[in-house]
Amino acid sequence: MHSRVRRLRRLSQIAFLTGFLVLFGFAGRSPTLHSLGDGAASGWRLPVDLFLRADPLLALSAMLSLRQMLLPLLWYALPVVVLSLLLGRVFCGWVCPMGTAIDLCERIGGIRGRGPAQAPPWRRVKFYLLVALLLTMLLPAAHRSPREPSLSQSLGLSAVYLVDPIALLTRTLTLSGVAPAQWTITFARDVNLVWTAAPLVEKRPWLEAALRRVGSGLEWLVRPDSPPYFRLGLLSFAIFLGIVALGGFARRFWCRNLCPLGALLGVLGKLSPLRLRVSDKCTRCLRCVNECKMGAILPDPKQYRGPECIWCYTCLAVCPEKAISVIVRPAESGRQDGLDLERRRVLEGMGIGLAAVLLPKVDWTAKRTQAGEKVLKLSSERLIRPPGALPEDAFVTACVRCGECMKVCSTNTLQPAFGEGGLEAVGTPVLVPRMGPCAESCVACGQACPTRAIQPFGMEEKQHLFLGTANVDRSKCIAWSYGRQCMVCDEACPYDAIQADILHGLPRPVVDDRVCVGCGECEFRCPVEPRGAIRVSASGDKRHLSRADQRALREAASPGAKTGEENAGSEAPAAEQDMIDKAPYPGAYP
Amino acid sequence: MRALAAGAGAYAATQAGLLSLLSGVAEAASSSRPTIVVASKGDIPGRVRAAVQALGGMGKFVKRGGMVVIKPNMAWLRKPETGANTHPEVVAELVRLCRAAGARAVTVVDNPVDGPASRVASMSGIREAAEKAGAKVMCAPPPAMYERNQIKRGKVLKQTDTLRDILRADAFINVPVAKVHGSTKATAGLKNLMGTVLDRGAWHQSDSLDQCIADYATQVRPHLIVLDATRVLLTNGPKGPGRTKDLNLIAAGTDPLAMDAYAVQLLEMRPEDIGHLQRARELGVGELDLSRVNIKRV
Repeated sequence: MHSRVRRLRRLSQIAFLTGFLVLFGFAGRSPTLHSLGDGAASGWRLPVDLFLRADPLLALSAMLSLRQMLLPLLWYALPVVVLSLLLGRVFCGWVCPMGTAIDLCERIGGIRGRGPAQAPPWRRVKFYLLVALLLTMLLPAAHRSPREPSLSQSLGLSAVYLVDPIALLTRTLTLSGVAPAQWTITFARDVNLVWTAAPLVEKRPWLEAALRRVGSGLEWLVRPDSPPYFRLGLLSFAIFLGIVALGGFARRFWCRNLCPLGALLGVLGKLSPLRLRVSDKCTRCLRCVNECKMGAILPDPKQYRGPECIWCYTCLAVCPEKAISVIVRPAESGRQDGLDLERRRVLEGMGIGLAAVLLPKVDWTAKRTQAGEKVLKLSSERLIRPPGALPEDAFVTACVRCGECMKVCSTNTLQPAFGEGGLEAVGTPVLVPRMGPCAESCVACGQACPTRAIQPFGMEEKQHLFLGTANVDRSKCIAWSYGRQCMVCDEACPYDAIQADILHGLPRPVVDDRVCVGCGECEFRCPVEPRGAIRVSASGDKRHLSRADQRALREAASPGAKTGEENAGSEAPAAEQDMIDKAPYPGAYP
Repeated sequence: MRALAAGAGAYAATQAGLLSLLSGVAEAASSSRPTIVVASKGDIPGRVRAAVQALGGMGKFVKRGGMVVIKPNMAWLRKPETGANTHPEVVAELVRLCRAAGARAVTVVDNPVDGPASRVASMSGIREAAEKAGAKVMCAPPPAMYERNQIKRGKVLKQTDTLRDILRADAFINVPVAKVHGSTKATAGLKNLMGTVLDRGAWHQSDSLDQCIADYATQVRPHLIVLDATRVLLTNGPKGPGRTKDLNLIAAGTDPLAMDAYAVQLLEMRPEDIGHLQRARELGVGELDLSRVNIKRV
């Protein structure tokens, strides 16, 4: 009976891991994510960032840091919280994809029962870490409106991104998993595409049809045009590998000693009515102690630590005397709920939390320029944020660096920041126009962000969101410097922001900065290698203005543009825009 | 001697597709007055049919069992109403006509400027329309599908990589849309051919983009040109957004330069003012003076 439950648990783990990977794979082509404005969602659909939304630690962090009830996150995170209140860390043992990944790697690596319970000090580290994180969330956060003079004192920082397992796994998959998977599938598809030259297929129409079907199936699976490349891919994979490799010291080392989500669920689990009881049939063979994945069973096998137990059912299954059972009455159970935290270490944890928040602030890039109402960081000429992003301080607070936006980005332009914006912004998404433009008809990142650091926007709205301004480097532009016929930037510009300055019949590009939104189409297509002669700078960023104000600016700059029958190409479907306009609060999106 | 003849024969056979293209040059040079047919009545498919019929029917260009390549303007992330791409119904009707004439395979192809290519193909409406009519649609073919092509009479452009399918096609139909252009002032058939090469950047970086366009036109000649002047773009071409005008015309012909001259006139400009057309005339690509062209209206 117990081994059946154990098998059920393994099935559940595989199911949730598969679900996680499938949802991850879907991100970018699911109808819920209005990628490239395909149709309007009506009614509820399964969000592809389900796991990120359901993660109580991320939900807590987002809501505390932004000082806002984020209902979309709450709906998904609440069931997990309730589950943990009832059953303790069952999420860790039955659902968590990181836990499953670790279990799988340990099974493949042949790491089996590694001795008795981990020495207590290590086990406490995750709780100290949780304390540190809570402190970072509770510290005064950025205000939503950058007009507040206290913005320069904001200390909020979302440090959760470094250590939350779901965010970590998502980021690893995005940065280092998608590209190799796509290379493989794209290679298979391209081999298929060369059929027109292959004489093999010409005589065999059945083969052609079969290959076509395989090809379209593969194309549906991946973004067919080019695999995405990401910075920090190797680093993120190395971190993941490191976490798994810690299993060499003890099974599920991460879950036992480091995972703050596990710590949070463990604390919630103290209220759980279900407990394990060891009967007198116990012969003290200590098999359960050795087999326990979490090292939760104390040297006295009748006692175990409640906040560590993940309900993997291993002890129940391996006990030769079948002495372990599940009960409700506390008196008969040996469950120890104490966290046993040392006060000094808790204070140290809080200190670390404070330091983690302050340290990036003493990085030189934390100095803000104060040009009227605009507040940018000095290092940030290339800190071009995705459309719909919150103003900078709120953005780095709300962004959990999960990488979802980078995964769904249809042009591979969103990359993790590394250098732009200093220490505080590492891992947050920035536009790198030379990698790809911000496509005019794409709204994917706004749909994908689980913490609404990138606020959703519609296709029509996007035209009025200023990300930056393009500048022509005349010394490099082949038209300005060498008198060549080019104007590819003008061809590429979807907003008609580039005018021609004509000299002896030769047109040279000039950017109209009131119209340019900084999408980067021009920089992406400029034929001058390697970095383009026209480049986008963050100086046109107008996130401090409301969307209505930005729209007014743009319409004043080019009256009549993008209106009416002439330009029917870029209107959002009415239903979609309606849905965004009628949201219960700014940023809410079912 | 025999081996030499056999070798020459084999060489000719492998270049069969290329030769069929070049034969168009000989034909154009020998005929006295080129003809353009302009259809203005009926709906879009009707106009396409009328125009092609007036030239002698699709059977004149497509032989039974032949492989056809249609090259529309499918380069921009724009919907059909904006006049930036070839209208999908024009492409679809041409596909139908080719298949009715007995074509073994019809491919609709372009190397777009905008991306992602799949999005360009669907937003322009061409993928859906063409596939429904029975064609295979290739938007942004991978580099493996291009072949090195020497431009024998090129003054600036000496060689380039052209889509292999076009070089080997039995019938190559160019289906441009008439638009103004920020760089070349106007774009029609000759400029549309830029979508058949892999490295366009090299043309821009060369001594003269206009000359490259003209050079290329001497080497790659479509068998049939169908100009989509349903809705033309009069400002901010080639992508817009700009002022459009509904002319509701479909023009067809075999002289690339005459077709382009006609398109430029529709855009309220003079063919002599367009650099790449002048240079193409100097290279003998076709007739630029519309007074020496038969314009038949149907």
